Amino acid sequence: MTDATIGAAAGTGAAAGEIAANAPQRALGLHRELDRAWANAPGWRGQITAVSHTTLGLRFMATALVFFAIGGILAMLIRAQLATPEGAFLDTEIYNQIFTMHGSIMMFLFAIPMLEGLAIYMLPKILGTRDLAFPRLTALGYWCYLFGGLILIFALLGGVAPHDGWFMYTPLSGANYSPGVNADVWLLGVTFVEISALAAAVEITVTILRQRAPGMKLTEMPLFAWYMLGTSVMMLVGFPPLILASVLLEIERAFGWPFFEVARGGDPLLWQHLFWLFGHPEVYIIFLPAAGALSTIIPVMCRTTILGYGAIVAAIVALVFLSFGLWVHHMFTVGIPHMALAFFSAASVLVAVPTAVQVFAWIGTMWKGRPEMHLPMYHVMGFFLTFVMGGLTGVMLAIVPFNWQAHDTHFVVAHLHYVLIGGFVFPMMAAAAYWMPQITGRARIKGLGETAFWTILIGFHGTFFLMHLTGLMGMPRRIDVYPDNPEWIWLNLTSSLFGFVMTIGFALFALDLVLQAWLGPRSPRDPWRAPGLDWAMRLPPPSYNFASLPGPGRLDGGAQAAQGLARGEGLLPGAPRGRREVLVTGVGSARPEFVAILPGNTALPLGLAGAIGVFVLMMLSGLYWLTLPALALVAALIWVWARGMARGRDAAPVEVAPGLTLPVHTHRQDTLGRTGAVCLLLADGTLFAALLFGVGFLSVVALGWPPPELTGDPELGAGLIAGLVAGLGLGVVAVRLGLRAQGRGGAVLPAAAGLLANLVALACLGWLAAAVLDDPTRHARDALRGVLTGYVGLHALIAAGMAAFALDQARRGEIVGARAGCLPAWRLWQDFAAVTALIAGAILLAQGAGG
Amino acid sequence: MSFLARSIAGPMIWAVTFSVVYALHGAGCALGWDGVVAGPVSLQRAALVGSWALGLIAGAALLQRLPASGGMRAGLPRAGAWTGLVATLFTLFPVLVTSSCDAARAPAIHLFTPA
Amino acid sequence: MVLLLAGCDGPLSTLAPAGPAAGDIALLWWGMLIGSAAITLLVGVLLALSFGPPRVRPARYWTHGWGLGFSLVVLTTVLVAGLWVGERILPRDDGAVEVRAHAYQWGWRFAQPDAEGGMVETDDTLYIPAGRPVDVIVTAEDVIHAFWVPQLAGKVDAIPGRRNLLRIEADRPGTHEGLCAEFCGLGHAAMRFELVAYDADAPPDALADAPPAEEFADD
Ligand code: HEM
Ligand SMILES: [Cu+2]
Ligand SMILES: [Cu+2]
Repeated sequence: MTDATIGAAAGTGAAAGEIAANAPQRALGLHRELDRAWANAPGWRGQITAVSHTTLGLRFMATALVFFAIGGILAMLIRAQLATPEGAFLDTEIYNQIFTMHGSIMMFLFAIPMLEGLAIYMLPKILGTRDLAFPRLTALGYWCYLFGGLILIFALLGGVAPHDGWFMYTPLSGANYSPGVNADVWLLGVTFVEISALAAAVEITVTILRQRAPGMKLTEMPLFAWYMLGTSVMMLVGFPPLILASVLLEIERAFGWPFFEVARGGDPLLWQHLFWLFGHPEVYIIFLPAAGALSTIIPVMCRTTILGYGAIVAAIVALVFLSFGLWVHHMFTVGIPHMALAFFSAASVLVAVPTAVQVFAWIGTMWKGRPEMHLPMYHVMGFFLTFVMGGLTGVMLAIVPFNWQAHDTHFVVAHLHYVLIGGFVFPMMAAAAYWMPQITGRARIKGLGETAFWTILIGFHGTFFLMHLTGLMGMPRRIDVYPDNPEWIWLNLTSSLFGFVMTIGFALFALDLVLQAWLGPRSPRDPWRAPGLDWAMRLPPPSYNFASLPGPGRLDGGAQAAQGLARGEGLLPGAPRGRREVLVTGVGSARPEFVAILPGNTALPLGLAGAIGVFVLMMLSGLYWLTLPALALVAALIWVWARGMARGRDAAPVEVAPGLTLPVHTHRQDTLGRTGAVCLLLADGTLFAALLFGVGFLSVVALGWPPPELTGDPELGAGLIAGLVAGLGLGVVAVRLGLRAQGRGGAVLPAAAGLLANLVALACLGWLAAAVLDDPTRHARDALRGVLTGYVGLHALIAAGMAAFALDQARRGEIVGARAGCLPAWRLWQDFAAVTALIAGAILLAQGAGG
Repeated sequence: MSFLARSIAGPMIWAVTFSVVYALHGAGCALGWDGVVAGPVSLQRAALVGSWALGLIAGAALLQRLPASGGMRAGLPRAGAWTGLVATLFTLFPVLVTSSCDAARAPAIHLFTPA
Repeated sequence: MVLLLAGCDGPLSTLAPAGPAAGDIALLWWGMLIGSAAITLLVGVLLALSFGPPRVRPARYWTHGWGLGFSLVVLTTVLVAGLWVGERILPRDDGAVEVRAHAYQWGWRFAQPDAEGGMVETDDTLYIPAGRPVDVIVTAEDVIHAFWVPQLAGKVDAIPGRRNLLRIEADRPGTHEGLCAEFCGLGHAAMRFELVAYDADAPPDALADAPPAEEFADD
């Protein structure tokens, strides 16, 4: 069959609703065939080479639980210290490390990975596909998370943990006031972990947009997917400012380039803006998946359907946007004029509206149905009680004058735990109770879960309810002793006692999970009689989820759909070609477009994460030159990674259902990889925008400006900047020529030209840095010029690498006919690099190319 | 425009207006616009109220153009447009009533100050 | 109730206000507390009612009526009240007494006018005349700190390179406690100070004995 007829088949046969069923086969035979292609390797090798979303999702969640336990132990140390005014047993330095690590672990090593794990595990099952879009990336994310987390934990054990609070305000976290390695551990360790957040965000977005079961329209997909779509887009936009801030602060600490130091034109408020630009959306990033779980669980527990689907989706969209307009409410006391505070106060208040819409939609759902008090429902009630109170104190804190009093007191500590435990931990416990039978195939042991719930609920409110009053009576956060304030003793003692009650509750909860997984009796296939594709499979789920993929007419799922799918009546049955195959559908149409072949088990992600880890460790130990070999290793492994995606031969089109034959992804330009690249560039673009914000902010607001005169040769500078932009621009032309010559296999020359153009750009850049730019340690302006140049340089370098890769592919004959190889990805990147270089170059010129 | 793009158009208008007004506010205070007279008010307030009004007009115009019925494919864009408009109105109305820059320098608004 | 209020007392309590700003804010708090308690109760009742037989209400009743309508009304009220109070307690160009608070790791240096009107310097105790608005110019030497006298007003950060302004006023002569509210390293917990509000007609001897204020580092 030629490419033309494949395209025609995809266009006509695939109209949703008219896909014929495949003939049933023996379920066991299909299972064996699929398992050979999809299962992890046996033994310990299987653990390090696994890329399966089921394995990795569970591993993310289990690891997050371990970190939750560590964070919880630290919380108990905090409570023990605060139980009495003299504190007795921790010295201040250790106490500072402990509360910093408690906060950082809970946010970065528990909450975020937990929600990622839930999404990684659930989404393919809910959407009716066999894995996430980029399985190796899932594994890379996991290893980065684990290694970054381990660095933080080892630092804690070694007594050199971060000690500047979880938001690491400069100048306290700068080199002058935190000279040790403590702050570097935070900056590098957390950024390392952030790689996993970005990886997960890219995957989740692409999987939701492109891998929904055929016929599952966006406007009809399960709400959990809408929530996760919102979350992942927020992660793509929210994390880059933090990554930028961390990189800048690390550069300031390691190399003395000033960004936050007042004396040399920096501003500590820049850190706060960038941090909270991430930090506030972070709270909603944590809340949205939890709300997604609630929207799934509540209707099932009430034997009805969700009320107000459309309103909830609209509320999600509103939350995604509004939550980026609130960050200054963490900075109400820094001396910003009242009008600007008023904007953010109003936005912070307004964000409660979409939240209220959801809460009332859930209550309406309960009215509509008949609530049954199964264990998940207990936790849902715990959520309602706790989260509503946390939301109300949140509105109070959004009111500027009240915030001026309550800010940085234990009132805020109480508020944030009401929101985090009410809005995240309770829903997650509901989710655990709800999905444990799905995950383990076992039913729980009666009684223990309810006991755990009541213990946690009582312990929680006993700990944190009175803490509001502690704060209003003036107790600031982050103090280890209060010898002069006997009036706080009874409050703190009460909090501490109930804190231990809560811990017992969490221990019971963990015990319940372990017992269920280990000893629980077999669960029926549909313990909750729930709809949804996540129940349309054997329990515990097989490595491939679905023996054949659900299509139109089978999307209500539930356990009834399981049998037909297991017998291969759905789409793309089995793995007759021995490959991991999934269907890719259109974003808007939900029509099947082509078949994507996913990579199999590999240890490459582990190796790549290890190489990044070596880089981080070299940075930490101050062996800056040794970071270069580590980076070279990273680059080499990425090359190998990309080679794994290349395919030398035409792959035959695949019959997905009777009369529906689809091409394989190598013959398409709109691959999953391309959508992923767009997501990555969204994040990258946000990082660049945050950098531009930094330039603007310091130029307008910071003291210590105007900076000293530039000393470089202005004509040379202008020439080099022009050369740089021209080189990248030629690359843009070259990649298009390559695409035009793709059909006849003539991409060698354009790729070579593109490589050359990028190298010329790099040369101009190097010259600029060496001969024109001023010493970046002199002033923030010069440091920012250095960073802008570095940003462009890194992108030009990667563009050169992609051109080289394309050249290699073209030489091997992998770019020919319908196969475009890496050209589409290179084109995206080259365009992005050229545009950002143009903007950066314009800024450099506007500041004056030289003296 | 695709469904998703139409759905976020309204919130985007809010995001842009909000950013512009906030940035203008910071820049205006840094450049001393609140001391410059522009008709009955300061240049600062004129610039802020002006850009706010533009954002409101854009939001209303968007709402006008979206079809009124047609299930969720029309409903979500409309809800988005309403979100954008209400958010622009609600979060930026302080340009009308609050003191703009460093309060000690700004003329007191006697409506608020205790007698 | 009396017992409860007595329980809220304390030298650092925001609920025992001794100045107009703290008084306004405390009032705001009690208002918001009552509203919040009512809303929590309301949600509880709605939840409890859901356990009866199924009751059909149109979706809009929940999402638009309660979700949008009810919440917007409540929130607008709170916001306007907050902006109102916020504007009332801002520092203004009205000839208030100016004092300075300079924070360093870990202590406070203050400058305030003495009986003759010249600025004198003190460590860890700030003197202000009672019954008159005072603007505190808050600065920092090294890292970020925050100036807070809970019984008089909210807090404002002391940030290197910036001069922040906070209006405070004590209703009556007396002593109030203050502290650093922003985490600033090892000495944070002990970074306390005292604020003495004196009868404007009888400045304390301590002021007369204090040395004249030197210029601070950032001037
Ligand atoms: C297990 C029960 C928990 C207890 C008893 C507890 C207790 C505390 C206490 C007393 C503080 C204040 C420390 C201080 O200011 O001196 C604190 C801070 C904090 N907690 Fe928790 N916590 C618990 C769970 C959590 C959870 C589940 C999260 C997040 C998901 C969390 C996030 C935080 C954060 C972000 C801080 C701020 C840390 C900082 O000031 O740098 N906590 N916690
Ligand atoms: Cu926030
Ligand atoms: Cu402090």
